[in-house]
Amino acid sequence: MTDNLAIKAANISKKYCKSLKHTMMYGIGDIAKNAIGLSSNSSYLREGEFWALDDVSFEVNKGETIGIIGANGSGKSTLLKLLNGIFMPDKGRIEITGRVGALIEVGAGFHPMLTGRENIYVNGSILGMSKKEIDKKFDEIVDFAGISDFIDAPVKHYSSGMYVRLGFAVAVHCEPDILLVDEVLAVGDAKYQVKCFRKFEEFKKMNRTILFVTHSAEQIVRHCDRAILINDGAIISGGNPSDVSNRYMDLLFGKGTEGSISETCEHQVSVSNNLDIKDVLSEEIKRFIEEPCVGDKFSFRKSYSKTEYRWGNRYAEIVDYLVLSDKSADPVKCKTSEDFYLYLKVKYIKDVKRPIYGLFIKTVDGITISGNNSRDLDINRSFISQKTGDTIVVHFHFIPKFTSGEYMLSVGVAEDADGEIVPLDRRYDAIHLTFTNQGLSSGLVDIELKFEYMI
Amino acid sequence: MKDMNIRTIYESDKFIKMGFFVLWREMVLSLFRSRELIWRLFLRDFSARYRQSFFGVLWAVLNPVITVGIFVILNRSGILNIGKTSVPYPVFALIGISVYGIFSTGLSLCSNSIVGAGSMVVKINFPKASLVIASMGQAIVELLVRLVVIIILMIIYGIVPMWTSVFFPFVLFPVILLTLGVGFILSLMAGVLRDVAYFVSFLTTLFLFLVPALYPAPQIGILSTLNKLNPLSHLIIGCRDMMILGHVSDPAGFLLSSLFSVVIFLISWMIFYISEPRIAERV
Repeated sequence: MTDNLAIKAANISKKYCKSLKHTMMYGIGDIAKNAIGLSSNSSYLREGEFWALDDVSFEVNKGETIGIIGANGSGKSTLLKLLNGIFMPDKGRIEITGRVGALIEVGAGFHPMLTGRENIYVNGSILGMSKKEIDKKFDEIVDFAGISDFIDAPVKHYSSGMYVRLGFAVAVHCEPDILLVDEVLAVGDAKYQVKCFRKFEEFKKMNRTILFVTHSAEQIVRHCDRAILINDGAIISGGNPSDVSNRYMDLLFGKGTEGSISETCEHQVSVSNNLDIKDVLSEEIKRFIEEPCVGDKFSFRKSYSKTEYRWGNRYAEIVDYLVLSDKSADPVKCKTSEDFYLYLKVKYIKDVKRPIYGLFIKTVDGITISGNNSRDLDINRSFISQKTGDTIVVHFHFIPKFTSGEYMLSVGVAEDADGEIVPLDRRYDAIHLTFTNQGLSSGLVDIELKFEYMI
Repeated sequence: MKDMNIRTIYESDKFIKMGFFVLWREMVLSLFRSRELIWRLFLRDFSARYRQSFFGVLWAVLNPVITVGIFVILNRSGILNIGKTSVPYPVFALIGISVYGIFSTGLSLCSNSIVGAGSMVVKINFPKASLVIASMGQAIVELLVRLVVIIILMIIYGIVPMWTSVFFPFVLFPVILLTLGVGFILSLMAGVLRDVAYFVSFLTTLFLFLVPALYPAPQIGILSTLNKLNPLSHLIIGCRDMMILGHVSDPAGFLLSSLFSVVIFLISWMIFYISEPRIAERV
C-alpha cells in the first residue's frame, strides 16, 4: 500500500441473511464460535444467505472525491458500512489510512428529548470528538447548520431539514481525513446542498478524501473525480464520472446492453462543434428511415420508458423513434442548448386524411415544459394525407433550454376530424432523457441569464 | 493531523487473527478512549430520562421504600417472620434492596442498551461497550439517591456507622463488575433474541427473593445452600456489612465472589468486543 492511498479494498464480500430465523441462529452460532476463538468460516453461504457485496475491489487516493452510484438495494450502503468498520467483511480485506468520519444516517444518535446544544455534544463524542474539540467548533457547527435560534430547543421539535443539517454539520466538523456520506444530502434543500458541496470542496483542498453515495447522476458528474457504479453487489463500472453515470442511466432506464450505441458513436465520429449533428449522423438517419418496420422497435430504444401510457384508436402507430443529441444517436443523456432532433416513424393501418404529429416535454414530476403539434405549428394548416400501409418519418427539432434534470417526452399521432382531434396513437411519457446543463441556473428553464457590472 | 496516518484494517475474523495480547491492548485502549463518550452518554440518558418528569430522580426512592414498607407490614402482622436483624429491619432491608438495585436496575438497563440505542448502533462506528457502561451509571445514580434515604433512616434510628464504612464504594465495585459482565452478554443476546427482556425481568424478580436482600442470610435449609453458592448473595451481604459494621463478616466468601465477578466481567467484555460488528448486523 503506497502512502498516497486512503482506502484499499481488496476482494471484499459481505453476506446477508434473508430469513429472520436463520439470522438469529447464525448470529448466536457465529458469536459463540468467535468467543471461543474459532473462525466463523464466513466465506461460504449458508441456507438463506446471499452476497450483498461480492468480490468488490477498488482503491481511493488521498484527496479524491469518489461518487458511488447504483440502484436501490445494489449494495452501496453496505459498502459504506464496511468501510466505516460497522460491519466486518466476510471475505477480503480493507485497509484505511486516516481518521474516518461517516454520515450514514443523519441524526443517528440524536436524542429527541435533548436540545440541539446537548445533542451536538453527544453526537460529537459518539463520532470521536473530545469536549475540547467540540467547544472549539461549537459556533461553527451551529452556524453551518443554520439553527442558532433553535439551538436550545429539543430536537424532536426540529424539522427534518434542520435535523439533517445539524447531523451533517457535526459530522463534517469532526475533521475526518476520509468522509463517508450516504444519501443524506437529498433531504436538505437546494441551498443547503450547495453549502454541503462547498464544504466538500474545502475538504478536497485540504487533501481529504470523500466518498459519497448518491442517486443523482448530476451530482456525480459535477462533484466527483471518479465514480463507481454498483449493481447487484458488484462494481460494474468505475472511472470517469460522466461515463459511469451514463452507464447508470442505461441500467435504470435502458435495455442494459453493454457497449451502448451512444458510446460507439462518440468514439467513431469525431465531431467538430460547428457541424450540424444532422450531417454528422446522416448515416444513422438514413438507416433509421430505410429500416423496414417490423414490430414495435420503439420500445427497444435505450431511452424508452416502460412506464409509458399508450392510447388511441391505432389507425396509425408510432413504431420507432430516434433521438439525435449531444453528438450521438439514441442517447439517454442529452445536452441542453444543443440541437435536439426527434425522428418518429409512423405506420398507417387505415387511411388518415388529416394527420397531426405532436410532441410534449415534461419534467419527471409531470410539469409540462412545452409542447405543440404539426397542425398548430403550420400557419396554413395543411396536412399530408396517408393511406393504409404507408410509413412516414417526421422529425421535430428544438434547442432544449432546460436546466439539468430528467425529462419525459410524449409523442402522438392524431387525426383532425373537422377541427376535433381524434387520438390515433399517443405514447405519453414514452421517452426518458437526462439533460445536462453546463451552467448552474436553477428552475425549469434556462433563460440564459446574463449579468454585468455597470460602473 | 496526528491521525492522518493511522491505518485500520477490517477483515473477517480480525480479532482472532490479531492474537490475544493485541486484542486486550485494543480493548483497554478503546475503553480508555471512550471515557468521555461514556460520560456523555450517561449525561444524555440521565437528563433525557428526567426531563419530562416532575418528581424526577425521586422515583428511584419510591420503589424500594414501598417494597421495604410492605415487608415491614408483613413482618409486623406476623405473616412473615424475618427473624432478628443486626439493625432495625427497615434500615437493614433498605440497604439490601438498594445494593440489589445495582444488579437489577443495572442489568435491565445494560441488557437493553444496545437494542434501545436504535439506529445509531447500525449507522455509526463507535465503541459500543460505552453504551452498556453508560447505562450502568443510571443504576449508580439511583443507589446514590437511595443512600441519602438510608442515611436519614440511620439518623432516625440512631445507628452510628463505623468510620471504615467509607470503604463502601470498594465493596460495591464487584457488584458493578458482575452486573456489567452479565449485562454485556445479555445486551449482545438482546440484539438477536427479544426473549432477553422478558428473561431479565424474570431473573431480577426471582433473585430479589433468592438473595438475602430483604432478609438475613438463613443458616439452614435449601435457601442457605443456594445463598452460599450465589456470588451475588455474598456481595450483597458484604456491602451491607460494610455499611453497618464497617467490615466484611465473611471475607473468604466475599473475596471469592469478587474474584468470580472480575473473571465474569473480563470474559464477557472480550466476547462483547469481538462480537460488536456481528451485533450491528443483526440488530
